[in-house]
Parts: sequence; structure tokens; C-alpha cells
Amino acid sequence: MNRFRSVLVRLVTIREGGLVLIILGFAGILSLTSGSAVIPQPVPPGADVISDAGSDGTVLVRDRITGREWRHRLTRRVNKFLQPGNLDKLVKNTSFFAIMAVGATLVIITGGIDLSIGSVYCLAAVSGAMFLNYFGPTGPGASAHPVLVTAAGILLCIGIGAAAGLVNGLLITSLGIHPFIVTLGTMAIYRGIAFIMSRAQAYTFFPIQFTDGLIRLQAGPNIYPVPMFIMLAVAVAGTVFLGRMVLGRYVFAVGGNETAARFSGIGVERVKLAVYTLLGVTCGIAAMIMLGYYGSASSDAGKGYELDVIAAAVVGGASLQGGRGSALGALLGALLIQLINNSIVILGIDQNYSQVIIGAVIIAAVFADRAGSGFRAR
Amino acid sequence: MCGLRRAQAVNAPSAAPAPDAGSGGLPGPRRQRSIRFRNVTKRFPGVVALDGVTFDVTGGECHALIGENGAGKSTLGKILAGILQPDEGAVHLGDVPVRFATPRDAREAGVAVVHQELLFCPNLSVAENVFLGALPARAGVVDRTVLRDRTAAVLAEVGASIDADTVVGDLSIAQKQLVQIAAAVAGGSDIIVMDEPTSSISRAEAKRLFELLRHLKARGVTVIYVSHRMEELFRVSDRISVLRDGRYVGTVRTAQVGEDDIVRMMVGRAIEAYFPVHTERAPGDELLRVERLRIPGVCTEVSFSLHAGEILGLGGLVGAGRSEIARALFGLMPGASGEFFIEGRRSDIRTPRDAMHRGIGLVPEDRKVQGLVLGMTAAENLTLASVGDLGRSGFIDREAERRVVERYFHALSVRPADPYRIVGTFSGGNQQKVVLARWLARECRILIVDEPTRGIDVAAKAEIHALIDRLASRGTAVLLVSSEMPELINLSTRILVLRGGRVCGELPRAEVTQERLMTLMAGIVVSREGNA
Repeated sequence: MNRFRSVLVRLVTIREGGLVLIILGFAGILSLTSGSAVIPQPVPPGADVISDAGSDGTVLVRDRITGREWRHRLTRRVNKFLQPGNLDKLVKNTSFFAIMAVGATLVIITGGIDLSIGSVYCLAAVSGAMFLNYFGPTGPGASAHPVLVTAAGILLCIGIGAAAGLVNGLLITSLGIHPFIVTLGTMAIYRGIAFIMSRAQAYTFFPIQFTDGLIRLQAGPNIYPVPMFIMLAVAVAGTVFLGRMVLGRYVFAVGGNETAARFSGIGVERVKLAVYTLLGVTCGIAAMIMLGYYGSASSDAGKGYELDVIAAAVVGGASLQGGRGSALGALLGALLIQLINNSIVILGIDQNYSQVIIGAVIIAAVFADRAGSGFRAR
Repeated sequence: MCGLRRAQAVNAPSAAPAPDAGSGGLPGPRRQRSIRFRNVTKRFPGVVALDGVTFDVTGGECHALIGENGAGKSTLGKILAGILQPDEGAVHLGDVPVRFATPRDAREAGVAVVHQELLFCPNLSVAENVFLGALPARAGVVDRTVLRDRTAAVLAEVGASIDADTVVGDLSIAQKQLVQIAAAVAGGSDIIVMDEPTSSISRAEAKRLFELLRHLKARGVTVIYVSHRMEELFRVSDRISVLRDGRYVGTVRTAQVGEDDIVRMMVGRAIEAYFPVHTERAPGDELLRVERLRIPGVCTEVSFSLHAGEILGLGGLVGAGRSEIARALFGLMPGASGEFFIEGRRSDIRTPRDAMHRGIGLVPEDRKVQGLVLGMTAAENLTLASVGDLGRSGFIDREAERRVVERYFHALSVRPADPYRIVGTFSGGNQQKVVLARWLARECRILIVDEPTRGIDVAAKAEIHALIDRLASRGTAVLLVSSEMPELINLSTRILVLRGGRVCGELPRAEVTQERLMTLMAGIVVSREGNA
């Protein structure tokens, strides 16, 4: 009981507490208002149906071995929101954005911005897809060992992401041009490269060891937990990086006051290179999950993702002025946005409203966060 | 930001008669309005900045406001100027209670503020800034001739020889200040708040400013003068009010008191050693030698050496290149050339990192811009230069960090003694201690301190002086850059005087007098004044 209370107290006092409460409250309301759906309930394996469906929706079934007979309900009513399939989809959708939002948060804390997120994601995905397709079951390199191909494909995705991020960082630090402009340019360049490379084709047929054997590993019917675990790992890594590592401290210092950071002997340029590269890495990780989950990619992957990702980071408390933000916040921000998307689907609201609602939520969340931090300071 | 500088020359209400376009555009002297503060209270998160402050400022006087940092004098000035609003109490101008929601309201009621952080539109011309918001226009098109003439008249009034067409961003700080005052006069303000006006200008410029103040007073303008510099208050003010910890202590006639009395009122006790007793010590080995340091546009050939246990003062007027030399020694002046020898070995110092690894630390002149990350905790600021060495494989050793922080918080008696508060909430003196501690934590052997006590209160100043003296006694080589002559004279083992980008003299401690130092420093400036 005391433990519970102390958890509650901490929840309200930490910066992300408000967001957690909003998400929990919203999820609660959704589960109460979403209503229920009827889903089929298959007959257990090893049993035969031995009667027609009765008026109560049940059939008589008999176990082939034991001969035991019982009435089996063919359908089941479930809460639309809480049903495992929906939650899994929600978490999966969140994972792409949350992972990239953790990277974007690092950049935003230094006072920077990256508009090329969606294009880096696309470039990494297309590169990975072409590689995995080449060495996949139908490609010319099918004889290669699929586990090695999988490992190489993952490294390629992340490596391409990191390289694209590093180039962003190099352009920003060496040319002295505002990151908004630099990444506006690379946004077009990276997507263009992906387009040229893939000749606008979609690439598919990857080694099954990468898709069903890894990213789409099932934990139950329609439950694929791997993206969630990767997301949690990235969030933990981001939290440790920002809170416990020297470079993380420098990230806050550069964003809080770049001049003072320089006067304290911090290599400001190196810090910036590091955050843009790390954002590229997170884009690569997200691209890898997308490849494994959907089993295909083309050059229009991730269009417009940069704004969703930046929105998630900002809703999660990152300040575009720099100096403020957290990895946990980025995850929660992505979750809140996906929760709203999800609610629009399950509440049957016209899809066209979703952009309006999400836009309003972004502004409201940032306003509430500012008001809230003023309150806490008191 | 531009809105704050609006001069309400045309649409100004009754309090500020509009300038007559035909006669040079200047409002004449008017009735002198008094200012009465009644029980003014202002609270900020965690502090009461002003606690029931009640006193009167007579119309037409120059009233100085003094107090240690955090005493509330700037807050009071900001309330008068409409930048802040009081939580309780009221301000009366004459017999009228006023409450300004914005600086613009205050400006319209004839109250202008001349502020350190000069609020200008740097891309616009002087004329446009002076008459911003009230530009003379015909059919929506700015009448440049009228604008220029009026501006020239106002600038002449405040004794500024500045071309009305100059872009404000190209002006020196002193010139910007004059333009601010000109804008206030043009806007018909009869109450002017001056917040630390001399903190970044030279002595000659300050002298001109004081003359201008006398002139404004003669025109019936009431001046509230906020400053730390005691000798100035005695030169310019009629009366002095003292604040301490947000409370009003008292008001005295300037002519009837001495500096000791004011210091006693400010700190609540008499300060015996206003300046520290200098510890006699023999300089040790040479730690740093600079040969033919050249910084384009700043200095041509500067050479000197710095010994262990020595405090080498670097004197000179603003613009003499002192801070630039300090920054060059710390690898922050990319164009600098010359040779550095650390303990006799030739060393490249291209980046702050190089300087740090050679045992050099720099306490920069602008604490808030160059020194601190204001949004981080005091602890994080304190270890900013040493945190990389405090851990292993990129991780921070939090236990080691805590020990370092506690050690230096205790050693420097930083107040409040909570290192995990945001450093922006500390007073100036305590912020400065945190910046100093940053380099002590690295145990640097060569410490460059640039204006170490600028804008901090008397008590903290004495503490920092004692600390610098103690460091030198322990063998640290200190390079002291300071605009405050008493500080330079009392602390330094020897003083190097810069003028026009060259070393123009060196004075050993035994031979230093305020007069000799001034002659060396000001030589050229005096003759330039003569020509002007």
C-alpha cells in the first residue's frame, strides 16, 4: 500500500508524470467507451464439430482422443480497445515513432532540428530491403547463410541511418548553416537517392529468419512483441545516455548555453555530430523493424514521418529552444499520438478528423507542459 | 523586443507633450513628478524579491538605489518600468496610483528604462530606433528628412555625436546607452530608470554619462539610478536608498554619509576589510610565457610571463584587448597567432580543450552568457569541465561527482547550500563561485579570471578576492583582468597595462598608485577627448 502510494507520488512529481496520467486516463476512457466487437473463436485443435450451431451461438464438439463432448461458443465479445490484437497494433505503431523520437529528442535538446528523419528512415529501409531481397529466398544470392544475411541486413540498416545522420551533422557543424536548412536539403537528397537506387520499385521476399524468425516472432495469436521490446530498449538506452553518460550531460549543456559549453572546454561540434548520428541510428533501427514487420519497403516509406516524430518529442516535453527533454517523454509522446490515432479508428470517427485532432493535441500538450512546469517550480 | 523601445513622441498622452516638429522636436521641461512606493511586494518561486517596500523619491532628484545582489533593487526598477507587476502594494506617480501591465504602458506614462540588456532593433538606424512607433510620416511613408533632423536634435540634446543614420548594431555599448536615453527624452519621459548603466562602459564614457545626468536633472527629469559602484553613487545621486534581502533599509542624503555607512546599511554589519589583505609571497617558477601574441584587430605584439604564486593584473580601458587576450590564452580566438610556453615547453593552444589539458582555466567576463548554463543545476555547472574525467568509459561516476560538488560548495561556502538547485536561481556572487569552483575542481595551475566580481555584492566580492589570494598563495598562477582599479591594485602582484593593443607599461606592486595606473591606461583616451 505504502509502495503504491510512493509510486503514485513519484508519478505526479516527475516531469513525465502528467503525460503518464493523461495516457492512463485516456486509455481508461477509451476502454469504457469503445464498446465491444464480436470475434470468432476457433474450435480447439483435436476436436470435431458434431452439431449445427444452436440459437445460442454454440456448437457441440467432441475431442477426438478422449471422446469428451462440450458446447463450444463460436464467437466471443471483446472490448474493442483492450483486445490483444488492437493493443499489439497500437504498440507496434508506437514503436517506430517512439524509437525515432528518442533520437530526435537528443537533437532537439541541443537546440537543433532534423527534418530529414523520414528520408533517412526511407533510405535505410530501401537499402536494407534491396540487400535482404538480393540475398533472400528468391534473389541471386539465395545461397548465402540466412542468419548471416539477417545480421548483415540489420547492420546495414543501422549503418546507413548512422551515415546519413553523420552527414547531416558534418554539414551543420562545418558549413555553419542552420540545421533546419541543412536537413531540409538532405530530406530531399536522401529520398531522391532511395528513389534512384530502388527505381521506385518495392522490394520484398526477405529471409524468413529476419521476418517471422525475428521481428514478427509471435507470442500468441496476432501478438508480435519484438518491436515493443526494441522500443523499450531504445528508451532505456536513451535515458541512460542522457542521465548517466558524460556525453548526455554535454548534450544538455550545449542546448542550454552553447557559448558557456564552449567556454567550459566542451567540444560542441563533436556533441552535435554525435546527436545527429544517433538520430540516424534510431531511424535505422525503426527502418529495420518496419522491414521485418511488413516484409517490404519502397522509396515512399516514411513520408512525413519527421513531423510525427518531432511532434512526439515535443509532446514528450522536449523544448525546441534546447536544454530540455527526455527519452521517456519521447516514448510517451509517441504513445499519446498513436493512442489518439487508434481511438479515431476504434471509435469510428471519420479518418479526416485525425489530423485536426492530433494537431490540436500537440499544441495543447506543449501548452499544458509549460503551465505545469511553471506550477512545479513554485 | 522592439515594442519596448517605442518612443511615444506623437501619440503620447497628457503626461508627455508631443515634440514640436518645427523647433527641433524636443519637449520642454515640465512639472517634476515624485514617485511613491507603497508596501510593494513581489514574490518569485521560492523567494520574496520585495517585501513591503515603502519609500518616496522626490520629483527631479537623482535617487540611487543600492543593495547586494538579490536585494531587490532591479526588481523594483522593473516594476516601475512595467516589466514586472507587484503582487501587493502600489506605485504612485505624483498623486496618481499607477499599475503598468507592459513596458509600453509605463513609457506612455512617461517612465523609461535604460537597461543593461539594451532592447533595440539592431538592424534599424539610430533615428528609426529613437522614434520607433512614432515615426514621422506623410501618407504612410516615413519622412526621412524630418526624422533625421529630429533625431539629430535629440542626439545633440543628450550630447551624443552619433550619425542618425548609423545602424544601431554597429554602435558601442556606451553609444547605445546614449541612444536609449535620447529615445526616452524624445518620447517625453520625465522619469528614467538607469539599471547598472556603467557596468560595460569606460571611465571617460561614464564621465560623460554623469554630465548628461546632471543636464537631465536640470530639465526636471527624475532619475532612479541602480548601481553597485559606490563611488558613482556618490558622484551622481542626491539621495541613496538601500535595500537588503527585499526589504527597505533606509534613505540617506548622499552629502551626509560616507561609503562605510552605505556598506553597513547594505550588509547589516560593518565590513572591516572591504578589500583583502594582500599576502606577500615570492613568485615561483614561470608557468606560462606568451610571446608576440597577435590578434587581428585587437592587439599587435603582446608578450609577458606568468609565475606560480603570482597574480598578474591586466589593466586597460574597455577595448584595450584585455578580454580578447584572456580568451586567446584559452583557445577561443581562432585568428590569434604567437607562441605559448607552458612550464618552458612550447605548446599549441588552439581550442579550449588544449588549454584545459595544459592546466589552464578561464572564468569569463560575462557570467550569464559565457559562464553558466543557467537552466542546469549548480552541481552540473560546477562539474561541467571535469565531469569527463570523473567517470569511466563515458559514464559519469555520480558518487565522485557528488563528493567534488559538496567539497567545493563547502570550501567556497556557496549559498544556498543546495547544489541541486537550478543555478539561475542563485545570486550573482554565488553563481560566480560556481564558475570559479568549476576550475578549482580541475585543479588547474593557471587560472585566468576576467572581471571576477562584476555585478556581485560587496560580501561575495570580498570572499572572491580572498579566494583568489589564497589560490595564488598555494602556487596557482593567476591572470586577473579587471576594470575596477581598486580590485586590480589590491590583488595584483604586478600589473601589465594595455593600451591600443600593446603593453604600454608594467607596474610592480610597490610602485602602483591609482594615479599612475590611470595615466598609463588613459593616456591616449585623454588626448582623444581633448580633440573631440
